[in-house]
Formats: sequence, C-alpha cells, structure tokens
Amino acid sequence: MQKPFQVPHTLIEQFTLDNGLRVVLNEDHSVPVVSVAVYYDVGSRNEREGRTGFAHLFEHMMFQGSENVPKAAHFQYISNAGGTMNGTTSSERTNYFETLPANQLPLALWLESDRMRSLNVTQENLDNQREAVKEEKRLRYDNQPYVNGFLRLFEMSFRNPANAHSTIGSMEDLDAATVADVQEFFRIYYAPNNAVLTIAGDFDRTEARNLVEKYFVTIPQQSAPPSVDVSEPEAVAQREDTFLDKLAPVPAFALGWKIPARRTPDFYALSLASHLLFEGDSSRLYQKLVKGEESVVQIQGGIDERRGPSGLFIVVIPKPDREDAQIRETILRELNDLATAGPGAEEMEKLRNNLFNGAVRSRQSSLFRAQQIAEFALYDGDPDLFNSDLENYLNVTDTQIRDVVARYLDTDNRVLLDIVPAPQEAIPAAPHPPGEPKQPTAPLPQIPPPPEKTPSGPLATTPAVESVSDSPK
Amino acid sequence: MPETETFRRQMPPPLAPRPLNFPQPFETKLTNGLQIVVVEEPLLPIVSIRLSFRSGDANDPPNLPGLSDMMTHLLTEGTDTRSSQQIAEEVERLGATLNVGSSSDFTTVAASALSIYTDEILDLLADVTLRPTFPKNEVDLARENTKQLLIQQRAQPTFLASERTAQVMFGAHPYSRVSPTPESLDAMAVETFVEFRRSVFVPNDAVMIIVGDVDREEITARVEGLFANWESRTVPPWNFPALPEQQARRAYLVDRPGSAQSNIIIASEGIKRTSPDYFPMLLMHTVLGANASSRLFMNLREDKGYTYGAYSTLDARRLAGTFRTTAEVRTPVTGASLREFFYELDRIRDEVVSEQELNNAKSYLTGVFPIRIETQEGLIEQLVNIKMFYLPDDYLQTYRDHVMEITADDIQRVARKYLTTDRAAIVIVGDAAEIKEQTKPFASEIEVYDTEGKRK
Repeated sequence: MQKPFQVPHTLIEQFTLDNGLRVVLNEDHSVPVVSVAVYYDVGSRNEREGRTGFAHLFEHMMFQGSENVPKAAHFQYISNAGGTMNGTTSSERTNYFETLPANQLPLALWLESDRMRSLNVTQENLDNQREAVKEEKRLRYDNQPYVNGFLRLFEMSFRNPANAHSTIGSMEDLDAATVADVQEFFRIYYAPNNAVLTIAGDFDRTEARNLVEKYFVTIPQQSAPPSVDVSEPEAVAQREDTFLDKLAPVPAFALGWKIPARRTPDFYALSLASHLLFEGDSSRLYQKLVKGEESVVQIQGGIDERRGPSGLFIVVIPKPDREDAQIRETILRELNDLATAGPGAEEMEKLRNNLFNGAVRSRQSSLFRAQQIAEFALYDGDPDLFNSDLENYLNVTDTQIRDVVARYLDTDNRVLLDIVPAPQEAIPAAPHPPGEPKQPTAPLPQIPPPPEKTPSGPLATTPAVESVSDSPK
Repeated sequence: MPETETFRRQMPPPLAPRPLNFPQPFETKLTNGLQIVVVEEPLLPIVSIRLSFRSGDANDPPNLPGLSDMMTHLLTEGTDTRSSQQIAEEVERLGATLNVGSSSDFTTVAASALSIYTDEILDLLADVTLRPTFPKNEVDLARENTKQLLIQQRAQPTFLASERTAQVMFGAHPYSRVSPTPESLDAMAVETFVEFRRSVFVPNDAVMIIVGDVDREEITARVEGLFANWESRTVPPWNFPALPEQQARRAYLVDRPGSAQSNIIIASEGIKRTSPDYFPMLLMHTVLGANASSRLFMNLREDKGYTYGAYSTLDARRLAGTFRTTAEVRTPVTGASLREFFYELDRIRDEVVSEQELNNAKSYLTGVFPIRIETQEGLIEQLVNIKMFYLPDDYLQTYRDHVMEITADDIQRVARKYLTTDRAAIVIVGDAAEIKEQTKPFASEIEVYDTEGKRK
C-alpha cells in the first residue's frame, strides 16, 4: 500500500556577514508574503540560579524600543504594514519573527537591525514588562489546573540546574532583575555573531542580500558568550513525587523519561516510538487505555526536544473509579511489548506517510520555513538540514525503534508524578517550592504542543480577527 | 553603540508591490443538490477536503444541547464496514487526517492527505459521512468520557467566562448553549444519533470543497461516484427565539475561589455575519482591540501593565452576534481595568477616529489578508465561510476594496449603534470575595454564580 513519494526540494542559500551574523535565504514566489526570523543563541539554559526567567523577560524588553524605534512602536509598525509578529523563548533559544506583505521586507530588516544594535533599556520599561510577564505567568501557569503540577515533572527529571529550571522563572527572580543585568545580558547574547537571520518567501535574492548588508553589516561583533554546560547523569533526579493542585478538578498522573539530545540516532528512533505510543487515535496507548480497557479519559504525551539531554513524557487522566497503579501497569506492559517485539510493518508504513505529509504540509507556511531553517542554522550550522533531516527519520528501522524503547523507556529510570486535587486551605500562601514548573505548555484538556514550540510571549496568540463562533470545543 | 547612519532615522519605504493571484474555484452541482468546489493547486503534492453542512450546534434540539458535537465525534467511531479502530488505523496509515467538528452554524467533515492518497481519503470521508452506525459501546464510552471532560471544563476560567456570557447575551436563543450537560448526554441514544444525522446531513444543504494537487474533472467524477445516491431532503427553516434585550449595565460574577486572575468579558449585542455593517464593525474592532497595536492593548497592557493582553472579539454568526472586549487581569486591578475598558468603549463612541488610525487599520486588514490564504488550510477555511454564510462569490477578490471603502464616520456610527455601554453585560470569572467591591461602581446590579452555573 506504501506508494513512492518525493518531498519537493526547498531552495536554500546561506552566507555570513563580516560581523559573524549568519544569514539564510529561502526564495519562494507562491504567495506575495515574506517571513523574517531572528534567532539568538540564548535561552533558559543560559540562566544562572537566582536569575531564572531572565531570557524570557529580556524577550519582552526587545519590544520596548531602540534608538530609532520608539517604545512599543514595533507592534505598530508591523500591524500598520499589514503584518503579524511575535517572539518566544525556550530552553534553547530566543526567537523573533514577522510575516509581512512581500514588499515590506525592508521594514522588518530595519526593525530587527535597530534593536540588535541599539536596544533602549530603561527602569520604566523593565518595570512595565516585569508586570506583563507576571500576568503571563498567572494566565498560563498559576491560574490553570495541572500546568504547574505537570511541569514539575521536568525538574524531577533533570539534575543540572541549567536544564531543570523553567523558562518562565520565579516571581522572586523576576523581581531581582536590574537594569544593569539587562544591559549586560544584551551585550553578551544579542550580538550579531550569536544570531541567525532567515528570510523566507517572495523576494528577489540580490535585493534581499543587499538589504541585509545595508542594515546589519555595521553592527559590531562581540566576544563569544560563555559556554553552557547542560551535561546530565543518566539517572533522573527524583523518581516519585506528589503535587497538590488547588485548581485541578480530578486527579492525574504523569510519567517522564530522560532521553538523548536531538539529532542523535537514538533521538530520531525515540521520536518515532513516541508517535506509535501516543499520537493519534490509532496509537497503541490510546487503543489500549481510552478504548480497550476504557480506563482513562485522556492520555497525552510529548517530547521536549533540546540540544542536550531531552525529555519524553506521558500525562494521564484516569476515570474516577480506576486504579492508577493498574493503568500504569498497562502502560509499562505496552512499552515492554514495543521493546521486545518492535513495531509492525503497518506501523512503519504509518510513520513514513506521516513524515511525508507533515513535511510537505508544514512547508506551505513561509513562517514555518523561516523558523525551521533558522533552528538548523543556529543549532547545527547547516540550514540545508531543512531538506535532508527527513532522511534521518525515514532511515530509522523497526529494530532501532525496538532497541531505543528497551534502552530508554522500558526501564526503572523514570519519574512518576501524582497530581492530586487539593482543598483551598491545604495550600500555603508561602513562596512556591524551590524550582518552578518547567516549560510553558498548554493545560489539559488540550493536547500540549511540544514545549519547544510553545509561544511564550510577548503576545498571546492574537484572537482571530473575524471569528465566526465562540463555542468552546 | 556605532554612529547612526542617516538611513536608520526613518522607517524605510516599501518595495514595489508583488501580485496576489487568486485561486480559480471551479464549481458544479450533483443532481441531489450537493455543491462541489474544486481549486487546482499543483504546486505541492497534498490535498485538503471539507464537506460542510449548514447545520450546527444551533440546530441541537432544545433538550439535547451538544447533540451535534457528540454526533460529529461519533461519525468516526464505526461504519457499516469499518470499526472505530479500523477507521483510525486506515486514516493514519495514509499519514492523513480525518476530523469532524461542529460550530454554532455549521458542521464540517475535514480531511487532508498526500495527493497520492486522494482516492483513499475521499472513500473514508464518504464512509463516515454516509454510513456511520453509532455503535452502542462507542456511544456509551463517548458519553462517559464527555461527562468527565465537562468536569474538567468547569476548572477552566475561559470556559466559565464564555458560558456565562452566552447565557446572558443569548437567553432562550440556542447560541446560549456552549456545551452538553450530563442530562442531555444521558438522553442521547443510538437512535438519536441515527435520526439526527439523517435530518441534518442533507446533500442539498452541503458543500464539498477540495483544494490541492487534483484534476477537477477526475475528482468531480470521483465525488459523484461516492455521493450521487445520497437522497436530498427538505431542510426545516431556522426559527429561533429572539435575543433578550439588555435593560441596564449588569455584572455577572462567576465565583472561582483561589483564582490568580480575573477573566473579564464585556459584551454587547452585535451583528449577523451577513449584516451590511460587517465591514464598518471590522474596522472599528481593528482600531479598538483586534491586535497588539490596537487601543485596548496599548492602554491596558503597554501603558498600565494590568494584563498580558487585552483584545476585542467580533463574534458575527449566521443569526446574531456579540461584540466583546476581554482581558485576564490580576485580581487587585479588576476595577481599574473595568474603568479603562469603559474609557476606551466610550472614547470610540464619542470621538471620530483619526485619519491615521483609520489608515493603519485598513493597511493591517488588507496586508494580513494574503497571509491568511498562504496555506491550503487557510484558503479552504475562507471558502467554507463564504459558502456557509452565503457570502458573495467574489468575496476574496473584493475583500480589500470593501475594507478600503470604510470611513471614520462609518466607524463612529457603528460604535454608537452597537457598543451600548449603558446596557453592556460585564462577566468576570474570579475570586468573588476579592472582586465584588471593585465591580460595584461599574454595574447597577451584580449577580454571583458558582462554577456549576448556579446562582448564589
């Protein structure tokens, strides 16, 4: 039933400016739209203890004006030109991006270059954005059931503080940030030699290259930022814990595993294994638990993809009258089955077709192309992986999948977190326990996107301009 | 910092505009009335399909809220020849997707696949649409799991806010119901779904839209082969109670003790999707709150720091609509936020928007328009809306002209007509003990509800 298929090739051209800025162009004339992405090699992995949440707070500061762009004018310039934009922070990087009518490319380059060379850091802006970030934390974490509890899983997994602390940080650390901290952070991490600029969409290559030179080439290079140590022992930090959640209406539990870094052979195989285990209604765990035993209301999983040790997790909401222990037993039995017998031929066919469909469909969006290309350029120094990395997934064999499940998942080296609804009075008003929840992730009952891809500011996903229905589904 | 080159002092002018080529839809109709729209897009080897019906949650019988929702969920849980598991496995083995969902006004069976699997996914789409069996065990499971999801939903402040707003604004009209209830779920049996599907899935009330790497002759013949025997039926007219008239500005607090924030919605009655005031309202909404450079965001977030984001929503449906302004703010500034909301609502009623704000809103709407149709999914969603709301066939082509025609006076006229601040409904989900006093100065009356929806 498997038919031969070829993913269309994406045109990619790269060059480096004298100041070290890596630039990648992806010319595509299908729609008169252009997307620009700037990726800085700084994320929560670069933060030290006592300054958690700093990379993300700084991301907000990048919208607060620079020498020639007044405070908050960035939003205005982009919207008024008919564009959309945002920025996000993950453990790995901080990114900024715009999608605009194709003829507005100079505007995007003017805005991105002005803040890269001359950001305005003032006490007033810092205070204001600290408040916006605190509201973001309340909105996405503190006022949502399961999120803070579920994210505890990651700090139970990682022993290295660079990996274990959250991107959003703690309220106390946000309060401690000073203007001097912010200025120093800018100098070190927001230098052209610590960044990648990608442009994808409808433009003329020579014209785009000339514009990039014009706006970016005179921004001075800085010395390289301090290196980061994200190394981890193989063992998880803490195997079991219970989290009292005053907003959770029903109990839930989560399982987590520590897995190897992205773009390693074992990571590719684990990524495919996770698809077979919990992606879609035909997945093994959905068919066993939601169908089959009918013991759980929902099961979701995901991978936290990083340049260093990464994470794989499963979250389960059991039915009220079901024993958690028995459900866990079924999950572990299924892992053991995959680790022993490996995937079947139909499962391998499913993986191939899903990889093809995902690859082609995602390429329609100029913003997706700009972002993916930027990641490969920043993390791997090879933007053409946008075309070739698919092969690394397609080449994974059934035996490899079997073996990585045996080695990394079908073991006792995992974490288990029980999330228990707590009565109001059981919650101390004291500061949060040390170490805050991990990555920003959507609360249940929505399926959480992979944490790496979750936007974390400065804007919530803007509501649709023209909504036709507000029925919450 | 390096010395500033003079070209950096000012925003650069745009380059020469690049042409936007509109897709050419090919339309035809089967003898049973099923409309077919095909857009040939050979650039990428993928296809997107939507089969949409002009029946949605509004058509749920009054005692069975959530019936459309449950029926659409169950379509993929078994057919004459396939079990639930077989459907899931066949679809996912193709690397394809097949989802069914309903909104207030319409229901859509949606599929996407690599174009080499167009025939296979179309067969599956036809099977779940025409021959679902609603197996008893699947109905029981869906009922039980949905009851659990209802419990979780009540822990979400956004759900509680939209539920209360719908109750207040739509009253006896079916738009007031936003989810099933345990009682309605208990009342839905296998026969309920069989009968309901037969009455609302009617070919003469449906449109099949196909966008992608397909040949229009071939795909039309294929659709005809699969759907030609489907019998047409008379569609009952839509006949629903009127919306309640709001008499005064009242507040409705949903008490959620321990909330870290207050979720605020301020709502007024708005417009139908086909109202001649649609484009003036769209421009007004853009100036006031559509995006991060609109007035609400600049005031409540950038100036005051009360919230992560403040926006407006233009909720225009087939039969009625609302206009809403929303934000999630920290509890102690709930009252201060209400003050800023009403300041902005009054300002756009009382003062003509400046020429610059008007032009900014126009260039925003005309500029983001091509971005929205960049992908097959974006384009097909536009085509579904055009067909479901009976918008003109040249809607996409003329959209930007309609935006450009609107004047500052048009904006003030619709602001005065629809932003009835003296009769607005204020809905707040939060810790009632903390926010009741803060709300008092803004409302003539305050009603307090618990998270189950019961009046306190």
